[in-house]
Amino acid sequence: MKGTQSCSCRWTRAAKFKGPRAEKNSLMHPIFGYHGRYLRVDLSTGLSTEILLETQLLREYLGGSGLGVALMLKEGAAALNPLAPEAVLAFVFSPLVGSPLTTSAKFAVVSKSPLTERLNDSLASSGFALAGKKTGYDAIVLVGRAEKLSILLIDEHRVRLESAEDLVGFSNRKTQENLLRRFGPEFQTATIGPAGERLVPYATISHDGRHAGRGGSGAVLGSKNIKAIAVRGTRRVAWASPPALMSLAKKLSKKSFGPATAKYRELGTASNLLMFNRLNVLPTRNFQQGSFENAAAISPEELNVTRDRTRSSCAACTIGCEHLYSLKSGDGSVRLEYENLFALGPLCGIDNAEIVLEATRRCDDAGIDTISAGGTIGFAMECAERGLLDAPWLRFGDGNALLRSLDSIVSGKEIGPLLAMGSRRMAMEIGQDSIRFAPQVKGLELPGYDPRGLQMMALGFAVSTRGADHNRSGAYEVDFSEAVDRRNVGPESAHLAVETEDKAALMDSLILCKFLRGIFADLFEESAEILSLVTGWEVTAKELRATAQRIVTAKKRFNILAGWTPSEDTLPLRMLQNALPEDSESHLSAERLASLIKAYNLARGWSEEGWLPLGQAASLPVG
Amino acid sequence: MRKDGRLEIKLGIENRSKERVSLGMQVTVELFGIPRARAGVAWTVANGSTLGDVFLDLAKRFPDLGEACLQGRFLKDGYTANLRGEQFVTDPAIHLNEGDSILLLSLDAGG
Ligand code: SF4
Repeated sequence: MKGTQSCSCRWTRAAKFKGPRAEKNSLMHPIFGYHGRYLRVDLSTGLSTEILLETQLLREYLGGSGLGVALMLKEGAAALNPLAPEAVLAFVFSPLVGSPLTTSAKFAVVSKSPLTERLNDSLASSGFALAGKKTGYDAIVLVGRAEKLSILLIDEHRVRLESAEDLVGFSNRKTQENLLRRFGPEFQTATIGPAGERLVPYATISHDGRHAGRGGSGAVLGSKNIKAIAVRGTRRVAWASPPALMSLAKKLSKKSFGPATAKYRELGTASNLLMFNRLNVLPTRNFQQGSFENAAAISPEELNVTRDRTRSSCAACTIGCEHLYSLKSGDGSVRLEYENLFALGPLCGIDNAEIVLEATRRCDDAGIDTISAGGTIGFAMECAERGLLDAPWLRFGDGNALLRSLDSIVSGKEIGPLLAMGSRRMAMEIGQDSIRFAPQVKGLELPGYDPRGLQMMALGFAVSTRGADHNRSGAYEVDFSEAVDRRNVGPESAHLAVETEDKAALMDSLILCKFLRGIFADLFEESAEILSLVTGWEVTAKELRATAQRIVTAKKRFNILAGWTPSEDTLPLRMLQNALPEDSESHLSAERLASLIKAYNLARGWSEEGWLPLGQAASLPVG
Repeated sequence: MRKDGRLEIKLGIENRSKERVSLGMQVTVELFGIPRARAGVAWTVANGSTLGDVFLDLAKRFPDLGEACLQGRFLKDGYTANLRGEQFVTDPAIHLNEGDSILLLSLDAGG
């Protein structure tokens, strides 16, 4: 592997340096905003190694998702089985973590996905990002497999494993409570629940109730026999222009109280439900319909009247988009987002709010992605109703069936092993052409946007390197604008999908929360100013546009190395053959999707089919 | 019913067809997210032959909605409108037809 190895030790080391300072890379140039090194821990051998990060690599890939994919390419992770001991899992921080900028306390978890066998980068927030960066590293990379279920402790310069055998089967909640008692509040922890231990390919990694949710990073951590990572440190980085950064951070915070974020602050993302329902793009009963007759019963508008609601936020955030609703069972309250609401509600035909909240709680505790869980169960419900699956109890609208299904995924009993495959592998197991209505792209279940009525998003889903995904492609923003006719999008608009994907790549690498994006008049211009103040680099908007494109291309390169072929950039056949029943205009033909994909690839400077030109591929990091 | 004689439908419980008292062309306005929270109703009937006219009418009758989401005949940043559940529109000069429905919503959809 390339990179400059500065120091290696078995399970403990003592490279002491303290206090904020501009780190120096191997060429002795000061780096503001970064430590200029990452920690690579081999869980099989106990060897932990500090590896220097060249300034050029940091500038070209920034942090978060971008630096994560660069490290994956350097480590040669694309060719590996994602659950094999040698597989690579990276927790990646960013230049903005620890700065006074609102919503910047975030980290990315990057690996090859056991669900899609393609690149997976999922983000989560809060104290783990702050404490993780204070360990003195810009990333923590894990390879190998511990002998038994363990906790990995990174206490600044000391690295060690502790047994987690007493935590086997513990929920995320209980694990985090236990670790808090055991190690104290200075340690921040990222954990897996029983689903991660069982290697469910859509298991999450959880921190403080939030999840690096999509694509199964929890299974990758589980395959390494790591129940939790606990981090603590005191090493801060310096910023290039602290007074100017403080002043810009204040302005940003002030703007974050404005109208662009009001929806998130006051109502939360769940308020999408009724609007999507009205536009007939709310996926219902495994995408058989685009509206749900009982949506109002589970809407936040209804819940606000019938339940206690509290608000919360990630560390260092002035928006606070999290809205928690009480369970009637008295078992605490549950964070409700649009995605878990749609996936465990309309997608499974459920109109009982208590069931949706309880199902969400079970997913959070077990550590499973709510979108993939709801998508897979909804698919199974349709298979059962069509007689393709022998499970007469599994019916749309049956809340107990939903909860029983979730429990079976976690326990591995009953129908659990089948559901735990995710919808694509399950369809292959069931056969009988069920793959045509398995709600997935590249194996990742679709989020709550029906692509027939949101055709720019359809393109975003089809080409996204992570699979069907609303976080790596914000193409729905274009659908919700005058720029296109959302039910009749043409190839001349494909560059708009490129633009939203590039913006997402930038935000996921800087890292800033995407709910902040509405406050920027020009994201690239303003991000260049932010990054310049943090790092001292003279960054321009043009450079950041190129950086974002490079990051997207690097993700594509990873996928090509992992076996990507053009045929996987598509949508489930159902969506290309049937219009939405509520709206015959919401029809997306295979030909139209193909023309959009072709235009997208050309707009990216790739071949019509999506292959990278030699020059682009050659400029990317190699292992 | 409000003092000014207009019928307001609280969360869709009342039936709008009971009364149509205003003069001029009428359209239905459906409110979502912040616009709904500010107006305190899920939908209402408004007057105007253009989108801008309708915004003016709404701002007059729902001052909180007007302050949060509208600026004269225009939408403020962060909000958008949709005609008949089909086409997104913001141009205040857009002509409306009798019985059209306009959806008023917060712009960002992500979640
Ligand atoms: S807006 Fe929401 S998700 Fe984003 S940082 Fe703030 S609380 Fe976290």
